Amino acid sequence: MRNLLKKIFLVDLFQGLWVTFRYQHPRNIYTEQYPAERPKVAERYRGAPRLNINPDNGETLCIACNLCALACPEALIVVGSERNEATRRKELTTFTYDTSRCMFCGLCEDACPVDALELTQDFELATYTREGQIWDRQTLEEGPRPTQYKC
Amino acid sequence: MPDSTFLDSTELVLNMGPQHPSTHGVLRVILKLDGEKVMGTECVIGYLHRGVEKIAENRTWAQFNPYVDRMDYVAAISNGLGYCLAVEKLLNVEAPPRAQAVRVILTELNRIASHLLWLGTHALDIGAITPVFYCLREREEALKIFENYCGARLTTHAFRIGGLLYETYEGFEREVRAFCDMFLPKVDEYEELLTNNRIWVGRLRNVGILNADECKEYGVTGPVLRAAGVKWDLRKAQPYSGYEKYEFDIPTRQNGDTYDRYMVRMEEMRQAVRIMRQAVDAIPEGAIMGKVGKVIKPAVGEAYVSIEAPKGELGYYAVSDGSTQPYRVRVRPPSFVNLQALDRMVRGGLMADVVAVIGTLDIVLGEVDR
Amino acid sequence: MADEQEPGGSEAPPPGKGEAAEQPKKPAADAAAKPVPPKPAAAPPPPKPPATMAATPWVSDLARELKERFGDRLGEASTYLGQNFVVVKPEAAIPVLEYLKLDADFDYLVDITAVDWPKRSERFDLVYIVYSFSRNERMRIKTFIADGFQPATAVGVHLTANWLEREVFDMFGIEFAGHPDMRRILMPEEWQGYPLRKDYSIIQQDQAWVRENLNIESGQ
Repeated sequence: MRNLLKKIFLVDLFQGLWVTFRYQHPRNIYTEQYPAERPKVAERYRGAPRLNINPDNGETLCIACNLCALACPEALIVVGSERNEATRRKELTTFTYDTSRCMFCGLCEDACPVDALELTQDFELATYTREGQIWDRQTLEEGPRPTQYKC
Repeated sequence: MPDSTFLDSTELVLNMGPQHPSTHGVLRVILKLDGEKVMGTECVIGYLHRGVEKIAENRTWAQFNPYVDRMDYVAAISNGLGYCLAVEKLLNVEAPPRAQAVRVILTELNRIASHLLWLGTHALDIGAITPVFYCLREREEALKIFENYCGARLTTHAFRIGGLLYETYEGFEREVRAFCDMFLPKVDEYEELLTNNRIWVGRLRNVGILNADECKEYGVTGPVLRAAGVKWDLRKAQPYSGYEKYEFDIPTRQNGDTYDRYMVRMEEMRQAVRIMRQAVDAIPEGAIMGKVGKVIKPAVGEAYVSIEAPKGELGYYAVSDGSTQPYRVRVRPPSFVNLQALDRMVRGGLMADVVAVIGTLDIVLGEVDR
Repeated sequence: MADEQEPGGSEAPPPGKGEAAEQPKKPAADAAAKPVPPKPAAAPPPPKPPATMAATPWVSDLARELKERFGDRLGEASTYLGQNFVVVKPEAAIPVLEYLKLDADFDYLVDITAVDWPKRSERFDLVYIVYSFSRNERMRIKTFIADGFQPATAVGVHLTANWLEREVFDMFGIEFAGHPDMRRILMPEEWQGYPLRKDYSIIQQDQAWVRENLNIESGQ
């Protein structure tokens, strides 16, 4: 009898509608207004790669040890180095990073012994061409320059 | 009286997918229909086949770790846990207690995220549009914790062989507790929306029944098996990663229909919260990395390790030839095996129920095809 | 940052490692060709691990029962890392599975898979993993089979073997005799070659199939 009454008076449906009604207040809005409002990503976010520069002298921190290239599962890092006869040290010449094949696993930054290679909080990596996805040393040091939209 | 052949109809063969929205990916089901009735099905899979097992043989043990996230991408952390446990078994090391506790918290959180995505899309398939918004809203909170912890939301690569790479961040415990407190009332809310809803009940009850014997015959595991009344959960049966320390129940139901599978998963989310609360209250201090060398080189041998993933038993059969690379890694995917029972579940039923049954199996095509 | 699992740092990358299966681009090829700088860590070679699995005999009632029943069709029963497995003759695999299911309650066939050892005369390991709900016990049944040998299907014992055997056929080319539906499952049906065999390179593709069906050169 009770069940029949419940059925006739559509109790189950009103119960559900009451749930949705409770979320009508504007403070329950959950939409993020990207790109007008830029999302705040986590500190540990693994985004665009960056080659860090020593802030004191403007030289790269990379010691061209090639460990990142070996650690990378996709083998998308190519480190070019040259032996400097004056200091008898290996010095970085080129650094290529193919972001189109990168899966941002973070194994390269784990492998880096001097914290030169780092995955940063930049997440806007889209380019118009495939070639644009292959980053050279300059791009890696300067970081991506995504268009900032003002809305 | 018209000629009898006039009314005769032949069997209609209908292609469902691979771009059908409610096949949850790129599953193609060839349906043989007699009117509305399903006479037989055939699954065509492999559209997402990437050869993960072949890739494994060409990577080092640690390098393969991020790839397993890309199988069941909805529950990437569970995949990672299974793989790490398998390699740790081969190496004969165990992750330290602190690492185990954090692993449990994150895998349970991932179980909730996976079940939420299942609930949202399953309800969407049935025709209830509202739950998916609420489910994704709560899932977002879980993903935020993943992002804060390891820097990625979906394909997390959160665990490393031997333990953890990342120490918990400042406020990790607080955020997990806040999630638990926030989440339990939300489960009740989903239930308010769905459990008694006449359309929901009408569409799910007595649809796609798979009883316990059939489940065992087909090797079906996870919530599907538990909805058929088998109280079996690998976390209890063969505890790993310290699950024996936590108190929780295995929810079971008796009928083995789609509605029961829904109820089992809802209860599983509550139990996951219960486990997380116990684990977060008792995270031990100490190291997070076990005694694993820089180069992972297990002795010659083989091991099969399986865990209770959100979809069922996820197993890794790893064979080592003593080198730095896996000789063979076989993944025992729960979705693949569960999907095989689809034919049994929909045969003789109505065409509209195929969508409900595919939804209730909770398959992820990345895992089916690997 | 201290890295705990820097993979393969002191190991020379094996051939083909640098190339991704799908699209090896220039940088990848270069990386693979690059000579690996020898690291000091590689200098003292670690003591060589045994070349075979250090398994110990598995002593239990079940192993004894199996031995009594199947006699010399059953090889040794061993344990490695607490996991039990028995080696059986290829023709005895299905009877053993059936016996385990009916008399020993191993009613859940977890997985069927294979491992390729090209240098061995019996080229493939065929591995059945079974589980018993009532005993809460798992065991593996291994058979060694030669290339071209057709093992009997397990579909008559466990229905779940259907897709699992199809996958083994797809990936290794092991045909199961008496299987109701022996077709490829993951790869396209007309595909030539069996991808998980060791002589199938990771960048290898069925060029003819790719050209015909996708209208592209695969670029491999």
